[in-house]
Amino acid sequence: MNLTPESKVLIQGFCEFISSTHVAQMKAYGTNLVAGVNPGCGGQELHGLPVFDLVEEVIEQFGAIDTTIICVDPYDVLDAALEAIASNIRQIIIITAGVPPLDMVQLLRKAEACETLVIGPNSPGIIVPGKILLGTQPSEFYTPGSVGIVSRSSTLTYEIAYELTKAGLGQSISVSIGSDAIVGSSFLQWLQILDEDETTQAIVLVGQPGGGSEEAAARYITEAIDKPVIAYIAGRQAPPGKTWRQTGTLATVIGRDPNFGTAQSKLAAFKEAEVPVAERPSQIPELLRKEIN
Amino acid sequence: MDLLEYQVKEWFGKIGIPVLPSQRIDHPTDLKRLKIRFPIVLKSQVHGAERAKAGGVRFAQTTIDAIAAAQNIFSLPIWGELPEVVLAESKYDANQEFYLAVVLDTAVCRPVLLGCKEADIDWESAGERMHHVVVEQEFSPFYARRLALKMGLQGTLMQSVSSVVEKMYQLFIQKDLDLVEINPLAVSATSQVMALNGKVRVNERAIKRHPDLAEMAAKIISRHSSTEINSILGNWNGVKMHGKIGILGNGTGSVMATLDLVANAGGNPGVCLNLRHAFLTDTRPTTFRDRLETSLKILEADKSIQVILINFLGSIPQIEEVTEVIARFVQQENSELQSQVVHSNGSKNSRERNFTPLLVRLAGSEFKAARKYLATLKTHTDALLVVENLDEAVAAAVLLAKPTVNKK
Repeated sequence: MNLTPESKVLIQGFCEFISSTHVAQMKAYGTNLVAGVNPGCGGQELHGLPVFDLVEEVIEQFGAIDTTIICVDPYDVLDAALEAIASNIRQIIIITAGVPPLDMVQLLRKAEACETLVIGPNSPGIIVPGKILLGTQPSEFYTPGSVGIVSRSSTLTYEIAYELTKAGLGQSISVSIGSDAIVGSSFLQWLQILDEDETTQAIVLVGQPGGGSEEAAARYITEAIDKPVIAYIAGRQAPPGKTWRQTGTLATVIGRDPNFGTAQSKLAAFKEAEVPVAERPSQIPELLRKEIN
Repeated sequence: MDLLEYQVKEWFGKIGIPVLPSQRIDHPTDLKRLKIRFPIVLKSQVHGAERAKAGGVRFAQTTIDAIAAAQNIFSLPIWGELPEVVLAESKYDANQEFYLAVVLDTAVCRPVLLGCKEADIDWESAGERMHHVVVEQEFSPFYARRLALKMGLQGTLMQSVSSVVEKMYQLFIQKDLDLVEINPLAVSATSQVMALNGKVRVNERAIKRHPDLAEMAAKIISRHSSTEINSILGNWNGVKMHGKIGILGNGTGSVMATLDLVANAGGNPGVCLNLRHAFLTDTRPTTFRDRLETSLKILEADKSIQVILINFLGSIPQIEEVTEVIARFVQQENSELQSQVVHSNGSKNSRERNFTPLLVRLAGSEFKAARKYLATLKTHTDALLVVENLDEAVAAAVLLAKPTVNKK
C-alpha cells in the first residue's frame, strides 16, 4: 500500500458521493490529485481538476498513476475499474455504493490475477491523519496519533475517530473497507498493514452482521497480531437479516455454523480471541487506554 | 426480488432448461381454452413457501374438475397472499428427483453450484448429501460436470444434468441473480430430466439495469402495500421493527449503531432507514434529498412512530437542500399542530394529533451552517432538537418517546 503524499491520484467519475468539498479537502490535505476522468467531459474542468475521457490519456500526460478513486454510478464501476487495471493502476478505491455483486465477482477475479488492491465498494477510503487523504473521509474528526482504525462501515469509521479525537487519542491510519456484501480488501489484509505500520500502537476493528470476515479477523488476531485490538460490532439488536438461507443452507452445505453471519457469532469469536469488545462507540477510548497503558 | 414460478419457467424455457408444457390461467374460465392435455396440475402463483401443504397445488382430470380446483385456489390466500395467476401444467411421472442450485456465496465472493440426489432436503443435515463446486474463475461447462460427477451421476444423465446446471449459470449471470434453484429436477424412467419447480432470486441492487425486471418490480410496487413489497422485493435498505423511535442515517453501520444505542438505553427502535442507497421502491434515480423526503413521509405515516431520530455525521450530499427538507417537515408539523390546537382547544395530548418530533444529530463542520439555520426555526418546544453528541441524542429520543413525558 503506497500511502505517501507523492503518489499520484486520479478520480474516475463524479456522482453524488463526491463533491467539490471532498476534492478541495483532499487537496488541502496534500493529496497529489492530478486529474479526473469523466467520459464526455474531456477538456473541461470539474471540481478544480482537469478532466479527460479516458484513463490512458491521463497517464500519457502525467505518467503512471498510483491510486484511482472511483465515484462513477454503480452500474459503471466494473468498467471503470477494469479501465484502471488496464492502465496499470494497482490501487483502486471505490466510493460508489450499491455495486451489483456479480460485477464485484468479476472485478475481484481480475484484480487477484493482476495483484491489484481494491478497497470498497461503498468505502470512504483511507486517511493518514496529518499526511494524506484518499477518499471522502471527513478529516476534521481526525488528529494524528497512534490508533489504527479498520472498519466495514463508512459513517461508523468517523464516529469512532470522533470519539477518539474527543478523548485525546490520535489516529495513525483509518480505513473503511466498505459495507457492501462483496468488497475487495479484507480485514486480514488491513490488520497486517496496521500491524506492520510503525506509527500504529493499537487497532480498533469495527464490524457488523453479515459474512464471516470478523470471525476470520478474530482468529488472525490470535495467531498473528501482537498489537492490542479493540472491537466494536454494530447491529447486535437488529433483527437477523434475510440473506437467502446463507445463515442456514449454505452454512450446513459448506460446513459452516448455523449462526454464521450473525452479530452473536462475531461477538463469540472476539471473546474466544480475548479481544475486548466495546458496547458503544463512546466506550472505545476507555477500553483502548486500558490496553495501551 | 423473488419471481413467481410461471415467470421462472418462462425464463427456463427461453434459455433451454426443460420445462413441461404449461399455461398461465388468469381466471378459472381460461381453463375452457386449455391447450395442454389432461391430467394437469394447477398451482397457485404466490411467493410464500409450502403452498402444496396449504392446498395451493391440485390435480385435475377433466375441465370441470380443473375449473372447480382453480376457483378454490384463486380464493385461497397463502401466507396472506392471494394468487393473481394460477399455473396449469402437464403431469409428469418422475422416477427420481434431484436438487440443483446456483447461489452467490458472499463469504467466498464467488458463485457456488449446489447439487443433491434428493429433492426434499432437510437443511439441518444436508451436509453430507449436498455437493458443491465453487466457480473460482470464469465459468466453463467443466464446473457443471464436476458437480454432476460429485453427485455420483454417470453417462448421459451426468451430461444432461450438467447441461441444466450450465444453463442455470448462464441465467444467473445474465440476470444478476442471487439464487437460481431447481427443486425438484425430475428424472424419468428413460433418464429424461425436467425442471418441475424453480426459484429465482434477483439481486436487489441490479434490478434497475434489466428493463424487464424493473417493470416487474414496478408492478409489485403498484399492487402491494409497503410491508408486502418488503417481503417480495427483499430488504429495502432498512430494518423494520415495531417500536416508537424511527431512525434515519447516512450509512448502514451508523444506522445499526444508533439502533443498538436506542435499544440499550431502554427505547424501542421502529423503522430504521439508511439513506445512502437508493430504495428498491424507487423506480427512477433518486438523490439523497429525495430519499430523506420519502423517509420522513414513511415515518410520519407510521402510526407506531413517536419520535424520529436522524443521525448524520461526516458529510452528506446536497447539504443545503437536505436542511431545507428538515426545516419544511418541522414547520409543516408545527403549523398542523397549531391549527389542531385551535380546533381542539389544546385538550388532547400531542400524540393523538399525529405530531412527530424530530431529533437531529449532526456532527461535523459541514453541518455548521445547517445547525445554525435549524436553531433559528421557531417551533413548538418538542418539534425539533438539534444535538451534536450521539449518546445525548439517543437519550433525548428515548425520553421523548416515553408516554409520561408527552402527557404534560
